[in-house]
Amino acid sequence: MEMMEEGVPDVINLSYLAEREETELEKRVAEIIKELGAERLMYCMQCGACASICPLARVGFEWYNKKLIKALILGLRDELLDDPTPWACVACNRCTEICPRRVSPFEVMFAMRRLMAEEYAIGSLAIEGLRSLYEYGHAVYMAGREARKKVGLPEKPPSTESDPKALEDLRKILKQTKLAELGLVPME
Amino acid sequence: MVKYGLFLGCNISFNRPDVEVSMRSIFPALGIELDDLVGQSCCPTWGTMPSVDIVGWCAVAARNLALGEEKGIDLMTACNSCYGSLNEARHKMLTNPEIHRKVNEILATIGKRYEGKAKCRHVAWVLYKDVGLEKLKESIKYTLDGITVAVQPGCHFLWPSEVYPDKEEDPFNPKVLRELCEALGAEAPYYTKLIECCGMGALRSTDPEKSFKLVKEKMENIKEEIDADLIVTTCSSCLIQLDDAQERLRKEGKINFSIPVLHLVQVIALCMGFDPEKVAGICVTPRDEIIKRILENKR
Repeated sequence: MEMMEEGVPDVINLSYLAEREETELEKRVAEIIKELGAERLMYCMQCGACASICPLARVGFEWYNKKLIKALILGLRDELLDDPTPWACVACNRCTEICPRRVSPFEVMFAMRRLMAEEYAIGSLAIEGLRSLYEYGHAVYMAGREARKKVGLPEKPPSTESDPKALEDLRKILKQTKLAELGLVPME
Repeated sequence: MVKYGLFLGCNISFNRPDVEVSMRSIFPALGIELDDLVGQSCCPTWGTMPSVDIVGWCAVAARNLALGEEKGIDLMTACNSCYGSLNEARHKMLTNPEIHRKVNEILATIGKRYEGKAKCRHVAWVLYKDVGLEKLKESIKYTLDGITVAVQPGCHFLWPSEVYPDKEEDPFNPKVLRELCEALGAEAPYYTKLIECCGMGALRSTDPEKSFKLVKEKMENIKEEIDADLIVTTCSSCLIQLDDAQERLRKEGKINFSIPVLHLVQVIALCMGFDPEKVAGICVTPRDEIIKRILENKR
């Protein structure tokens, strides 16, 4: 494995396939994605193992893992920013498990999400989850106190819901992350 | 007595608290002590911090893990998403000293630190390894004799295996959940779509139609190949999705059958004789028939 990896160049320049002029941003998109967590992006050999078991590919999403990686290497930034596929990824990690080059296509998907978040190409449900995380300490917050009472539990779980100091601590953490920097969530 | 920090996450806390009651019922009875892990938060789940900032993701996860580490205990969860997010974040910290350093800088501002010792274990693995199949068999009052179960381990129970404290021998041919169900007396045969995704989470919120397509395929496969009486899962998201989405598919005339869905801990709680209203009282697809059958199967 190590021997194979030594021969892999750091950057595979396939930009000539794009059939149009590239912007500086497009040229840099692969580098940006690597910085956002997809460190082994360029090790992909387009074998298709990840696509063969991806739920998104099965149900017909456009830019599933294999295609997304190719598009990023080609620098097709704007096309990707307009597409919801990364936000549909279930993070199942089948692709990570099966990838023979240890690319972790899941990491590529999520690096793409992070790029989209920086460009504010982010779904309202994701913003809702982030706001809920900041406000209550729970992303999935259905105010399910009735359900808890029904089964004989205290109205509030032993979480940030019932511990104001813990919620304050969590908010302090969130204020030191990109979430605060991007201003996606109102933070007092 | 072995002790774990009970990590509930969001779905179990608010949507399916009967799963929480099941855990609080069965584990002390099986010799496992539970710590409430007061002050825990969202793991954080995939659509939140992991989608925005790796260090932020790891910091939120590390705060949760530190709650256990401070007490010298591991966490335990019945939610695959929590299991995945917490262990992936831990793996990132342990394999990337720079991320770990930044996380501890952030944690220092709230007087905490995470060394990387505490991990999150899954209830199914605790039952399989710590409790063991023999003790489980001895602890039940009712069995699943004559009941065919379709197991749904769920994605984050299996992959990526390198980040998890416990691993299936072959993550693409999982055995643990089947063996646990068999220990309760059930038939738990293999079926073709056993490891297929339920389509919950981001997929369902982005495109419900595509998400329900996966449910339809899975349900039809379960019906055709093994004609299961019950679906048993290790994941609270799969539980909600398979329970709720099949009802929608029935209403739309896309399927014409119904299979009740229970979390593994709920099945064990029923087999141990705990109150069905408390441990399995929240559902969309009716469970009365299967619960009745279980309670007729006295050991």
